[in-house]
Amino acid sequence: MKILVADDSKLARLSLMKIVKELEPSCEVIEADNGQIAIEKFQENSPSIVFLDLTMPIIDGYEALTQILEINPKAQVVVVTADIQSQAQAQVMALGAKMVIPKPISSEKMQTVLQQLVF
Amino acid sequence: MKLIEFSGDHLDVLRELMNIAVGNATASIADLLKAFGTMHIPKITISDITGLKQYIQDTIPSENSHYVTKQLFGGPLGGEFIFVITDESAINLGNHLYDIDAPNDADIYDAVIELTNILSATMISRLTEELNVKVQFFVPSTQIIKGNDLIDLDEAQGYVQVIIISTQMEFQNQNINGHIFILTKDAMIQSLKDLIDQKLEELYA
Repeated sequence: MKILVADDSKLARLSLMKIVKELEPSCEVIEADNGQIAIEKFQENSPSIVFLDLTMPIIDGYEALTQILEINPKAQVVVVTADIQSQAQAQVMALGAKMVIPKPISSEKMQTVLQQLVF
Repeated sequence: MKLIEFSGDHLDVLRELMNIAVGNATASIADLLKAFGTMHIPKITISDITGLKQYIQDTIPSENSHYVTKQLFGGPLGGEFIFVITDESAINLGNHLYDIDAPNDADIYDAVIELTNILSATMISRLTEELNVKVQFFVPSTQIIKGNDLIDLDEAQGYVQVIIISTQMEFQNQNINGHIFILTKDAMIQSLKDLIDQKLEELYA
């Protein structure tokens, strides 16, 4: 299974990758530190799940989400954001995200996400 | 005194933790105001005291009067939380919170203090929770300052180095817009760096 983690923060990427690896050691994790690279890596790798931050340079998460869903309308994109306002979450769900989860993501939450979207 | 340097990783960790803290604070205020707020990514700057004064002058418009609320926090990590809001925004805040057209001065002060308490508690508590430490908050004080000379030179004496964490709180529909500065200095900068090192060690373990 391949997972794409797109976040401009190294801390956020490493934290998320560490949790994924603990839960699914065989999982291949691909990193992107901006929205443009996220779109390119999505096209190259067709990951099972994309974890996408919203505030990223070059192309932000909203635009990256839109473009990823244009490439593959069935893409499973989970938005991981510090903006925990319900209106912000509703906005990305309306754009087609499968889930919105608040930062920082916990191991328990990640397990739920993987169970719901992959297994 | 030797200046403490932060690596790219230290700054990245601090920025991400503050991003989470600002997200929590924005949501708390959005609940209070029953409104939707725009989140601004925090800026982290390490500076000397002259740089701090310049930074504030570049960020806060000089033509307005501002309600400036300062709150100290202490413990393993200490510093000062400063919330700056224009008098127009403060009146709108009082108006919105008390649901009255013309809030009096006491109502406005009370509203600004209440907002600052929620902001500082949410942001600093979230930051320190992520760094596995607890801090104590002191009573905030508010004053009205004309212009943007927010830092008293007497207050600033003895500061060698300051970390400025700044962000903005924006509720466009309510016309409420404030700036937040979190200042930590000297020995506390080393404490912060040590706490971030611990966080990085946990991550790489």
